[in-house]
Amino acid sequence: MTSSATAARKPRFTVDLPIVIGVVFIALILAVGTLYTLKTQGTATFLSPNYLVLQLHSGAFLGITAAGMMMVILLGHIDLSVPWTMTSGAMIATAIGGTTGDLAGLGLGLAVGLVNGFGVAFLRVPSMIFTLGMNTVLLGLMVMLTGGHAPQSAATDMMTFLGAERTLGVPHSVVLWVLVSAALVFVLTRTALGRYMYAIGNQEAAAYLSGVKTRLVIMAAFLMCSLCAVIAGMSLAGYSARAFQAMGDQYLLPSIAAVVLGGTTILGGQGRYSGTVIGVILIVLLQSVLNVMQMEEAYRQIIYGVVIIAMLLIYGRQRTAHR
Amino acid sequence: MSLTPAPLLEMRGISKSYGGVKALTDVDFVARRGEIHAVLGENGAGKSTLIKIAAGVVTPDTGTLAVDGAPRAFASPQEATGAGIVCMFQELSLLPDLSVADNIFITSPPRTRLGLIDRRAQRRRAEELLARVGCEDIDPATRIRDLPLSRRQMVEIAKAVGRDPALLILDEATSALTAADVEKVYTILHKLRADGLALLYISHRMHEIEALADTLSVFRNGRRVDTFAKGAHSDDAIVQMMIGREFANVYPAKPKRAAPPPPVLQADRLTFSPGLNGVSLTVGKGEIVGIGGLDGQGQRELLLALFGVLAGVGGTVKIDGTARRIGSPADAKRPEIGMALIPEDRKTEGLMLPMSVAENITAASLGAVTKGVVIDRAGEADNVGRMVKEMQIKVGDLAAPVATLSGGNQQKVVIAKWLLTKPKIILLNDPTRGIDVGTKEEIYALLRRLADEGAAVVLYTTDYAELIGCCDRVLVMYEGRVTAELTGEAITETNIVSAALNLAAETAA
Repeated sequence: MTSSATAARKPRFTVDLPIVIGVVFIALILAVGTLYTLKTQGTATFLSPNYLVLQLHSGAFLGITAAGMMMVILLGHIDLSVPWTMTSGAMIATAIGGTTGDLAGLGLGLAVGLVNGFGVAFLRVPSMIFTLGMNTVLLGLMVMLTGGHAPQSAATDMMTFLGAERTLGVPHSVVLWVLVSAALVFVLTRTALGRYMYAIGNQEAAAYLSGVKTRLVIMAAFLMCSLCAVIAGMSLAGYSARAFQAMGDQYLLPSIAAVVLGGTTILGGQGRYSGTVIGVILIVLLQSVLNVMQMEEAYRQIIYGVVIIAMLLIYGRQRTAHR
Repeated sequence: MSLTPAPLLEMRGISKSYGGVKALTDVDFVARRGEIHAVLGENGAGKSTLIKIAAGVVTPDTGTLAVDGAPRAFASPQEATGAGIVCMFQELSLLPDLSVADNIFITSPPRTRLGLIDRRAQRRRAEELLARVGCEDIDPATRIRDLPLSRRQMVEIAKAVGRDPALLILDEATSALTAADVEKVYTILHKLRADGLALLYISHRMHEIEALADTLSVFRNGRRVDTFAKGAHSDDAIVQMMIGREFANVYPAKPKRAAPPPPVLQADRLTFSPGLNGVSLTVGKGEIVGIGGLDGQGQRELLLALFGVLAGVGGTVKIDGTARRIGSPADAKRPEIGMALIPEDRKTEGLMLPMSVAENITAASLGAVTKGVVIDRAGEADNVGRMVKEMQIKVGDLAAPVATLSGGNQQKVVIAKWLLTKPKIILLNDPTRGIDVGTKEEIYALLRRLADEGAAVVLYTTDYAELIGCCDRVLVMYEGRVTAELTGEAITETNIVSAALNLAAETAA
């Protein structure tokens, strides 16, 4: 039975195409950036360990957000409430302050995830609509909370510890990202829950008729996504030293792009976690290189968009060629 | 007569494999103008692959293809259509929310000088085409959604004819047609043949081939076994060619019973709207109970209701004498109930097609190999290996998507998935539909073996021969009720048919 055992596991160790393409793009971005700095400043800034650690430090927040986003995209759903889940988690936590604040932030993530999951799994509202509504509700709630005057917005000790501090030069945010990643990889590859997520993403009716409790699996995925979002939001507030309105807004598109660039099918069912990590690193480096090149905001946006579309094109062509 | 003209389509040495499984091996195939060529074979014999290669949907691994003597390599279905090869696939390809006319001209609508769609010309040409296929009664402005299935199939034929084919491929074109429409299709096909078209016809219905084909080709295991003129071989000889051995003793022997077996599943006055008007049934240990009747008399609803899929079912269900509420398939799977359902459509309800064979086999039984929250991979692989061997699933690579298997092997995967849950009650919804004869036989033998080992089996099938051959008892349903129960010698085609038509009640009234 050993032959069948290895056969069943084989796909986990093969390298798939989106990941190769992602790595090639990352090398390309670094090469272009390095050529630029060599020419203008005479240094290879982009290849210095300091610079790369700095990128990972701030990139970890996107990494954690995208990790959660991947859980719902695998089911063929999406969570558009991520920006304000991040923001609300951070704002609630700072407004209350202390350990109670930290717990309140996490509690908010839990609540948002449960409501999203309930709406999608039980009320059968399309996730795109339900979570978009949820995002707006959270926005309204936060405006209500802050009233005209700003509440306390300084990061709690825990948030600063996670978001801003380092140990032996290693940013805690990166450690947090690694821990979240390890947990999710474990769920996806080793547990029945993970298998069921892929099954639902591929063919929900077949999964249901196989006796999978599909509603609970959907709830679990939204829960993981919202928890990731508040963890990212709270540590991001630690990094910026405070929580502020709309701080999560710039994370929505990149988090979805990172997942899809990493090879997860937007329709669900297929994709590997390592791809999402590559997608995050790619987006973070791209943004940073464009920053350093001091390109005007308008051009920066255009290049950013074009690179993402170009990558998806290459990836898409490869996939059709496969058949 | 100096030279015979080159055949319209000529394929030489075609081979194709999917994920290590050979679908076609070194096949030569020729289709000539003015000829209806029937392609026969079990599922998985390679017929679909052959057609897909001719229609440009699939590229062969090796081999050449020539149209009118000129070598061609189609990179897309469009190129094949350009060369005059038009294919009507088994699955209906019409868009339900567009009109009949829009669908017929979906790829090349007539245009005005400005390049806009010329709706009037489109309507007129749609009317012409519909008239050509004998369906003047279909209004081109009707939405496809509002047409019954058999009419849709006629629209599909009109659409194919509208592309002006030189070679028209019909894959199970009559499977959804009513008898009157089948006649029309025959007329159309004969007319097209007279016009000099080449026609490839794929069907499982022997009498259709009798009525239509000029030439027959038989495929088995990815090879073309023989090509011959109609009438050269008897039906029996053809069937034997298809399965490669004598076709006898399809059904295993039924056991003789002195007393009725202890009941495992007892359902009392199940109601569901629409479909079930108070259905009661009892299935004993070791019994195979068939559900028969005309299509759509509540048989599907009965199985789904038992399995907990339908919400709002009235009545009671007892398992081993204890009343149980089954609210979902997850409930039905619990060990104290131990129910399994082989669903109607394996592609959408039975399998996760892109996932691996191994993952599909264990999809319903992961709980049994999970320690804490972790899946025990060795235990899972053991189960998969055992099932592949036990069910004789032909598979090259267990990690390959289950979609790469043939229909019969896919169905075996669905059954294997449920056998791993060790079910006491097995419900099957037309499990042999679209499956080759060989696999059917294996499934019959398996059902009998499971029953002998103590399972209670409920088999719904549209094939009367299966009811007669497989079942210890047959319940015939009519308008959401069980109208007749046949046992032993009384299970005959005549009895089933008259019960299905509810003749007894009709004459009594």
